[in-house]
Parts: sequence; structure tokens; C-alpha cells
Amino acid sequence: MDCTLPAVAEELLKEIKKAFQETSHGIDPFSFRLKFIFGPSAVPALDLVDQRSVTRVVSPSGRTAYQVLGSSGKLYTCYSSCHFCTCPAFGFTVLQKSESLLCKHILAVYLSQATGACQELTVSEEQLTSILLAGEEDDEG
Amino acid sequence: LCRGGLAERLCRLQNRERSAISFWRHQCISDAKMPSDKSGVLIVKILEMFEECTIQVAICQQLEQSPATLSSEDAVINAREPILKVLFARETAAHLKSRPQDVIHIYPPWQKLLLKNADVPVIMNTYFSQKVLLSEHSETTEKTYGLTKMLVRKNIVSLAQTFRLDDLDDELRQESSDQVACAPQIHNNCDLKQHHLALSAVNDSLLEMVESQGAVGWREAQVRVVIQRVYCLPAREGHRSHVQGNKPLWMFCRLCLLVQDAYGMFSEVQLQSLSSADNIEQYCKRWEGKFCCLAGMKILQRTTRGRALGLFSLIDSLWPPVVPVKVPGQSQDSEMMTTNLPPPSFCYILTIQSGEIHVEVDEEEQIANLYQPPAVHGLKEILQIGGCNERCSFWAQVLYLRLQAKHNIPINQREIWLFVTDSMLQNVVHNTPKVVAVSVAASCVLSTEITEALSVASQLVFFRDALWGNGRIICVERTVLLLQKPLLCSAAGADLSELTGPVRLDELDSTTQANSICAVRGTVVGVNESTAFSWPTCDRCGNGKLELCPQDRGSLYCSQCSEVVISPVLKMQLEVFLSCPSRSQSTVKVKVGLFVLINMLLSLQSYEVQSVLGKEVGLLNCYVYSITSHPNCVGLEEIVLL
Repeated sequence: MDCTLPAVAEELLKEIKKAFQETSHGIDPFSFRLKFIFGPSAVPALDLVDQRSVTRVVSPSGRTAYQVLGSSGKLYTCYSSCHFCTCPAFGFTVLQKSESLLCKHILAVYLSQATGACQELTVSEEQLTSILLAGEEDDEG
Repeated sequence: LCRGGLAERLCRLQNRERSAISFWRHQCISDAKMPSDKSGVLIVKILEMFEECTIQVAICQQLEQSPATLSSEDAVINAREPILKVLFARETAAHLKSRPQDVIHIYPPWQKLLLKNADVPVIMNTYFSQKVLLSEHSETTEKTYGLTKMLVRKNIVSLAQTFRLDDLDDELRQESSDQVACAPQIHNNCDLKQHHLALSAVNDSLLEMVESQGAVGWREAQVRVVIQRVYCLPAREGHRSHVQGNKPLWMFCRLCLLVQDAYGMFSEVQLQSLSSADNIEQYCKRWEGKFCCLAGMKILQRTTRGRALGLFSLIDSLWPPVVPVKVPGQSQDSEMMTTNLPPPSFCYILTIQSGEIHVEVDEEEQIANLYQPPAVHGLKEILQIGGCNERCSFWAQVLYLRLQAKHNIPINQREIWLFVTDSMLQNVVHNTPKVVAVSVAASCVLSTEITEALSVASQLVFFRDALWGNGRIICVERTVLLLQKPLLCSAAGADLSELTGPVRLDELDSTTQANSICAVRGTVVGVNESTAFSWPTCDRCGNGKLELCPQDRGSLYCSQCSEVVISPVLKMQLEVFLSCPSRSQSTVKVKVGLFVLINMLLSLQSYEVQSVLGKEVGLLNCYVYSITSHPNCVGLEEIVLL
């Protein structure tokens, strides 16, 4: 049977984006649903959005990645082509235990997209390559 | 959590909900009967269950529905296949301990979600759910269930399944906004929020534009303003702390404009993030003093003098305006324009909506009359300014550069000290120091051009909008260091002539303070042989604390550059004690480097260190790293000027 949760999560995020375009308070009715679907990641993710911690990094060839400044001051890289984040919580909760769809950083990326809070950064190809490679080597996250 | 932010709002809602849930559950346990209020209750029978990321997904059949929630659609579905997908949160599932064939009552407020391309509605927010025990079977079933542990299939969600927030509708809107149009575009279904700059009339009041936010069409408002200053702001301290070592990675600064409208009101506009302040000189040259049209701004903040001292010290340096400005609310006869207004007490900080370019700078046009270029003064004049927290601009030759010595702060967050002079300070004799120390705070964004140029040779640098106060010049946020001459500047009291002749430093005397540079001469009265040593330093950053490479024990590794040091520079040092007539009361100890040492030894034709005693050491340039009164001691380090 196909998974249900991703479709639900995607629909919820789409509705949040639509509502936010009307008014910035439009997100309030969705708070409960956000909490229900994403659980403990919801509040920390919204906090990251409030602090505008998400940056979309683009290179001239069109490749993208996201960088999220975590609450500890560490910068995590989230991929745009699949759900992946360099933070330890992702490795543990999502990959190892499959207890969560996303970590708070990836959720913050989606919420920033939905609420227009994403910062934009254009870098060279080499710089983007080094961001993506650094994500692999960085054991501590 | 940010005040008034989304996270805080959710937290508050969550807390209320949590207490409501626990209260409700408590009620259910103590009161065995079902709650009498049946409106909106969803009654389902579980057919199949599985788990996805701790959420329990139950495929259920809807048994009956109370009239309150019945709709015509639902009635049709009910007749054929009343199938629902009900989601239960982890705690709810644990509380229910449900199994296939169980009947569950789900009380409001539950929520229904209809997915596109799916027939089965999804029910969520099912916190208030209760299992109904069918009385005949309850005892036996309880016993059976108690013995076997129920295994629930777990669906693993693929990471490749990302979420796309753009609908086809959105894509259509995107395309139309890319087109350049002179005539108004009518879109069928989309709202009329996406428009082009050509559409709306140009306003000349920032205040009007800001106050019309919330009204229909505010996003179309355009304001014509003068760009007074261009600078880079660091993007929050946190962004820098992650950077490892000295690598010029993501400096994460934002390009900002300080603009002023025809009424004299200021606003700081934050543009895109830059990875470094590299082209700041170009932006300053091309944009400062020009008119520009702002459209579709988002208000980030309304800040006041008390909360943004740095911003307002810059605004004050531009006040009063050089040409008369309009007075709001009055008809615009020329008599109504004035320069006699009190300095601004508030300022809006605006930012652009992401993705769309809303700033059009009229680069071809002439410099606006309202533009106030920085007033350049000589260092001597600046040292004599009375006030505090005044912005000042000056040219100066950088003689020596020193990084603050704290080791627990990453290299790009440290204060940099620049020791500067100009020809007037060099030539004046009394009461003014020959060299001034300028501290560059971590919040002052330096372009790579500047940092590279400074590390190589002595540079003539234009310090624009530095801050003067308490006898010190500091470079903070909104201060810009430039190598090239700005287009327009009133250089009234400044002497921009090159330095003639070699640079002279003040000689060490009783007024010398720590963290300064000076020249010293004296007689060697002692040598601290225990301090004689040599050590390798990194040829890139000068780091004296190199480590052995973990991979290759033969090589050296610099943790600040995060790279192997291929050709380390060998430094040697020895501490000598001097007797200096200019400061005879103090013990003066100088860490001298290789050059001085070898010279001294060669001149004596001896390799005995002790034979330098009694020798004259003449006019060494030194950095004063410590001055103590008890014991009365001056600690100097020989330096090489740029």
C-alpha cells in the first residue's frame, strides 16, 4: 500500500502556503495540523522560520541546496532533490528509526518556502560543490 | 522563541490543547458513560492498521454519522464505500490500543483533509478518540489481547518523495510575472497581486507607502527615493560562528541601502544576501547619490532611536538635509519646503519580497540634490571632535594590522586593530599622537579586496562612516572601508597627500598606552635566554600554533586555515631588557625578532648572546602589548610595519 503520510504532509504545506499569501495570520488555523503531522519538530521548525534561518543557495547552473542555521549555531545542509539533512537528529530519527518524516531543519525549509521567509544566496559552482561535499564529510553534523 | 513569532503562537495553542486533551481523557476514565453530546462525532470501525513515522494510519469504515456533519457528498460515499483513513498520533494510539474490528468514536475537533487524486478522505487531529467496548465480547477479547502483542506493519517512507509546494496555478503566475509588460495584464483566476513596476504611479513618500500596507494594491506602490549610502550588514552573529578557520566561506552579509525620500524620511532597505562583500565598492560607486524606485517592499521592522543607535548615528550624520524637503500634509508650494526639522526619531527597515526584483536604480541619471556625500576630515580634526557616537569619514595610511589575541573566538569574529596615520599627523609636532589606533569590530563587514590588500602592503584606505567616541575610532556596522576614492566627497579639512618620507612613530614615553605602536631605543641591560626559541608559523595566516598532521606525521597543519602548511615561516624570538631614557622608570622588555638579533650578533662578531649587553638598540618599531604599574613594566614586541 502506498504511504499516506507524505501526501498528507504535502497537502498541508500547500494549504499553508496558499493561506499565508492571503495574510500572514493565515497560518494560525493550520497550527494544530502542523503539530499533529510533524509532532515535536513543528515548534522548533517555526522558530527557525521566525528567525529566518533558512537560505536557499543557488548556483548558475541551477543546482540548489538549502542551508539552515540551527539553534546551536551550527549550519546544516539540506538537499533539495530528496529529504536529507546533515544534522544528527535526521540520521537518528529519520534514517535509523523512521520515527519522523523530516527533521526540524527540513521542515523549516518547507515552511520558509511556504511563508516566503527563505533567504536567497547565489554562489559559484565551486562553492555549491563544496557545500554539498562538506555535508558528506561532516560527521558531527 | 521570537516574540509574536509563528513558533510562539503555536506553543500557546499547543499548551491550551494539551490541557484540554488531558482533561477530556480524565473525564472519560472517571465517567464510564459516553459523553452525551454526540454532534460531530465520527464513528468508525477499523479494518486495517499500519504505522508511518509513529503516526498510526487506520483504514476505517464509517459506521454512522451524526446529522450535524452530514453533507450531500458524504451521503453518497456513505451508501457505497464509507472508507476513511484515520490518523492517530502516537500517544492517542497508545491510549486506544486499538486493533482491527475495533469501533472508535472520534470527538471534535477532528479535521478532514481531502487529498488531490485520492478518493479516501483523511481524518486527523484525532486526539479526542475513545474506543467503544462491545459488552458481550469485552471480557474474552480483553484476555486474548492481553496475551498477544499486536504487531503493526510499519511503512517506511522514501526519502526521495519530496514535497512540491508549487501548484500548476502557481507556475502560471510565475510565468506571467516574468513577462515584461507595459499594458496591464489581466489574469483569469489569480489574484491581482503580481504586477509590474510600470503599472502604478510613483509616490515620493515612504511613510505613505508604509501606511498603505494592508490596503488593496499596496504591493503596487512605488516610491522614488535617493540612495544616501550603500553598505553590507552582517547577517546575524550566529552565521559567522560556524565558519571553520580562516576560510572565506559564507560571510553571509546582506547588501543594504539607506534611502531618503522627498520628505526627508529615511529607511534602510535590506536587499539580497551576498556571500561576501566583494563588490561593495562597485555598488557604492554606481548607486550612491542616485534615485531609485522601490516597489513591493515588506516591512521588517519599525525601529526607533533608542533601539538602533548605530543606524541613527548614521542618519544623524546626514541631518539636516542639504536641500529643503517637503513638509507632509501641506500643499507643495516652494515656501513650504524646509530644512528646519527635528532629526528623525523612527525609521522603517524594509526588505524585498523574495524572488522578485523591486529595486530599480536610475544609474544614468545625475546625482540627486538631496544626496549628502560623507564629509571627510583629517585625523587630527577628528581626534579633536567633542561629541560621542559621531560618524566620521577620513583617509588614512594603514601602517600595521593586529588581530585580537583571544583564542576562543573564531578568526573572523575577532576585532582587528589597524594602526593608521596621515601626512598631517606625521608632520605635526606636539600634543597629537603620530599614529592612531582604529578598531574594526566583527560587525563591520570587510570586503575580500580590503583584507587581502591590507595583509600585503601599507594601504591608503578611505574609512567611511566610522564611529568616534570616548577618544577612540571604531569601525562598526554600516562603516565601509574603501580603497578607491569615492566619487563625491567634501574633503574640506583633509589632506590627501601621500606620505613623504619614512613613517615616524611616537617614541616610547610615560604617556604610551597598551595596544599602541611606538618606536623605542635604549641600551641592552639584560637578556632572557629562556625566552630564546624558534617556531614554525603558517605562511598564510601567521598562526604560531601549528600541529602535527594526523594523517602524515611529518607535515604541519594549521587549524585556523584548516590546511596543511607546506612551507612554514620560521620565527625566532628573544626577549631583551632595555634601559630607555625616554621612560626611565620602567623596565622595558622587548621581544626582538631574528633580524635584530642577528644584526646585533654580527656587529659584535660573536655568537655569545650575553655579549649584547651594553649594546645600543636604536629605534625599533614595536607594538605595546602590556603596560603594568606594579611592577612598572612595559612589554613590547618588535613589529614590521606594512
